[in-house]
Amino acid sequence: MTDPALPRTPEPTVPAPGTAVPGRHDLPSAPERLPAPELPAPELPAPGLAAPHVTTYPVSFTGSTGEYFRLWIVNAALSVVTLGIYLPWARVRNRQYFYGHTWVDGQNFEYRADPLKLLRSYVVVGALFGAFTLTQQSERLWGLSVLIGLVFALLYPWLVAQSMRFQAVNTVHRGLRFHFDGSLKGAYVAYGAANVAASVSSGLALPWAWFMQRRYQIDNLRYGSARGLFRGDVAPMYLIALTGVGLLVGAGLLLGVPAVVTLVAWMAGNGFDLDSMDWDSLGSGLFFLIFVAVAYVILISLNGVAWQYVRAATMRYVLNNAELGGVVRTGATFNPWRVVWITVSNGAAQLLTLGLATPWADIRRNRYLLEGVSVRAIAPLDDFARGTGGPESALGEAATELLDIGLGF
Amino acid sequence: MPDLNGTDQAGPGLPGVFFDGHSSRDHPATLHLGAGGVRVRLEGRGDHHWRADQVTLDAPLPGVRRSLNFPDGSRFETPDDPSIRDWERQHGRNRLLGGVRRLEGSWGTALGAVAVTGAVLWGFVTFGIPALARQAAAVTPVGVLASFDREAMGVLEGQNLIGPSDLSAARQAQLQAAFRDVSGWAGGPYGYRLLLRDGEPAGSGGLGANAFALPNGTVVMTDQLVALARSDRELVGVLAHEAGHVTQRHGLASVYQALGLSLIITAVTGDVVSASTFAAAVPVALVQGGYSRAAETQSDEVAARFMLERYGTTRPLQTILARLEAQDGGPGSVPDLLGTHPGTDARIEHLRQLEDAAR
Repeated sequence: MTDPALPRTPEPTVPAPGTAVPGRHDLPSAPERLPAPELPAPELPAPGLAAPHVTTYPVSFTGSTGEYFRLWIVNAALSVVTLGIYLPWARVRNRQYFYGHTWVDGQNFEYRADPLKLLRSYVVVGALFGAFTLTQQSERLWGLSVLIGLVFALLYPWLVAQSMRFQAVNTVHRGLRFHFDGSLKGAYVAYGAANVAASVSSGLALPWAWFMQRRYQIDNLRYGSARGLFRGDVAPMYLIALTGVGLLVGAGLLLGVPAVVTLVAWMAGNGFDLDSMDWDSLGSGLFFLIFVAVAYVILISLNGVAWQYVRAATMRYVLNNAELGGVVRTGATFNPWRVVWITVSNGAAQLLTLGLATPWADIRRNRYLLEGVSVRAIAPLDDFARGTGGPESALGEAATELLDIGLGF
Repeated sequence: MPDLNGTDQAGPGLPGVFFDGHSSRDHPATLHLGAGGVRVRLEGRGDHHWRADQVTLDAPLPGVRRSLNFPDGSRFETPDDPSIRDWERQHGRNRLLGGVRRLEGSWGTALGAVAVTGAVLWGFVTFGIPALARQAAAVTPVGVLASFDREAMGVLEGQNLIGPSDLSAARQAQLQAAFRDVSGWAGGPYGYRLLLRDGEPAGSGGLGANAFALPNGTVVMTDQLVALARSDRELVGVLAHEAGHVTQRHGLASVYQALGLSLIITAVTGDVVSASTFAAAVPVALVQGGYSRAAETQSDEVAARFMLERYGTTRPLQTILARLEAQDGGPGSVPDLLGTHPGTDARIEHLRQLEDAAR
C-alpha cells in the first residue's frame, strides 16, 4: 500500500491508516468491500480510536498449462537421462514454478530449497527404503527389516517436524522467510501418540489426531516474527470424518445391493450350489472374474473419493480458522466436492495419457484451490518484521516425498 | 540499458521492488547493473552497492520475476528478465539452470523431452531392469535362496493350492530317481529336491497339471501332470526344464524384477498404496509376462540340451507341452493365473529347431 508505482491486483477499500493497531481481530465474515456498519465513516478518521479496517486480498495464481508442461517434461527428461541424479533439481523447479506464480497483494511467493541438500537426503532415505524392501523379501533378514521399520516408526514424528521446518524456512514472501519451530515433544504428541490412539481406537480417535496435527502445524508456523494460530476445534473434524464415512456407506449400499442381487441371480441361473462349492462352474464363467475385478476397482475408487473429500474439507476448515500474528486471517471458499471431482477426473486423465496430463492436472487443481483462498488483514501486509529461525534439515522433506507420508495439507 | 562498465554511472536502470530483509515492506527501487557489481537505488533513501560476487541470483523460471539476493538478507525483484539474463551470462551465473530454462522455452524441446523420457523409460524397463535383476540374482548367496523356497512352499500349502500326493511309493521312487539324474546333470550349489504333490487338494481350483521350480532347487510336480504324461521321457523333459530355471536363477531374477518395477512405480506416481498403484499393477503384470517368456525359452534350451544328450530328441517335451496347451486352452476356461507357460506354439517350434540344429 505504500507503493503506488507498482501495479497491484487488489486495492484496499480504504488506505490503511498508519495507526492500525495489531491485536484486534474480530473480522466480519461478510464481504469486506463494504464498510462494516460499526466502522466510523471514512471521512472522520479519529487516529486514536480507529477501528481496524479490514482489507481482503485474493490469492491469485498466474501459472499456465503450456508453460508448465514444457518445464515439467524437460525436467522429467533430465531426471530420467541422469538416472535420477537431477531429480531434486526437477522437484525444486516444479515447486518454484507454483510458488512463483502464487500472488498475494502484488507480491509472489518463492521456494528456495537447496537441491544439493535434497539429493543427499534422497540418497539416505532411498537406501533405507531399498534395504527395507529387500529385507522384507526374505525370512532370514526379517529381523533386520523389522528393525528398519521400527526405527522409522520411532523417527516418524521427528521426520514430520523436520519436513515442516524445511518446507517453511524455504518459503519466502516479501523478502521474509516462514519458520516452523514446533517442539519435538509436540511432534511426538501430534504425530506419535495421536496416531497410535487413532489406530488402537480403530479410527475413532482419528479426527482428533487430525485436529492435533493441524493445530501443531499452524500454531508453530511463523512469518517473520508473527505467529500462526489455529482457532479450530475437534468437533468439525468429526463432522468431516462422518461425512466421509457416510459417503462410503451410502455409495457402498447404493452400488453393493444391486451388485449382490445380480450375482445371486447369475448363480441361480447357472445352477450354482453353495453347499458343494463347485468352483469349476464358478470359474467357468469369465463373468465372475470380471465381477470381482470391477467390485475391487469400485471399492478402491470409493475409498479414494472419501479420502479426497476428507482432505479437501479439512484444508478448507483449517484455512478458515487460521490466523497470523493476530492481524491476518486466511479464508477459503472452495467446494470440497468440487475438489474431489477435480482430483478424480485428473487421475483419470493422467491414467489415460500415461502421465502426460500431469502438468495440466496440477495446474487445474492448484488454480481452483487458490482461486478460492483469500487473505483478510486489519494491518498492511508490509508491516511484518523478521524473526529468527532454527536450523533446517532436508532429510524430513526427502522422507515425506519418497515415503509418501501424507501431511494432508 | 544496463551499464556494463561500472556501477557508478547513472542510467535508467531496471524497475523493481526492494526488500530490506527486516520487514515485509516493499520499497520501489531501480537496479543498475555493472561489470563490477550492482547498485540498487531506493527512491529518496539512497543507494546500496554490492560487488558482483556478493550477489546471489536465483535461477530463472518462466513467467516469474527475477530476484537478486544480497549478503545482508535484502533482495531486489524485477520483471526485466532479459537484462538480468545478459548480466548473469557475463558473470557465468546459473549456466546449467539457465540452459534448462532455454530448453523449457520451446515446444520443440518439450516434444523431444517426451520422446526421450518415453524411450529411456521403455529401454530401462525392457532391458535395464532384467539385466540388473539377473546380475543381482547371480550374486545372491545360495544361503538366501533356501529361505525363499521355504516361504513359497508355506504359502502354497497354506492356501490349499497343493496337498499330499496320491501316487504310489514305487511310482514316486521312479520319479525321484529320474530327477536325481536330471539334477546331477544340471549341477550347481543348489539344494535340489523333487516334491510330488496333489495339485487339486480341494477338488479343483488348485494348481492342476503343473510343475514349477523355486530358487534353491525345490521342484514341485503335481499328480495331475504325471497323469497327463504318456511316457516318463515327457516328465524328464519337464524336470530338465525346471532344473534350467534353477541354474539360470530365473525365480530370483523375477523377484528382483518385480521389486525394481514397484520401486519405479512408487517413484513415478509418488505413492505406495492407492488406486494409481493398483492401475499400475496391470502393466507390471504384462511386463512380467514378457520377462517370463524369455525365461521359458532359456529353460527350454537347457532341457533340450539334456534331452538331446540322453534321448537324441526333444519330442517328448514338445508333446507334453502341446497336451498341456490343449487341456488349459479349452473353450470357456479361466486364464491360468499361475501358468508359467506362455506362447506354447512358439516354444514347441523352438524345441523342434533346436533338435534340427543338433543333427
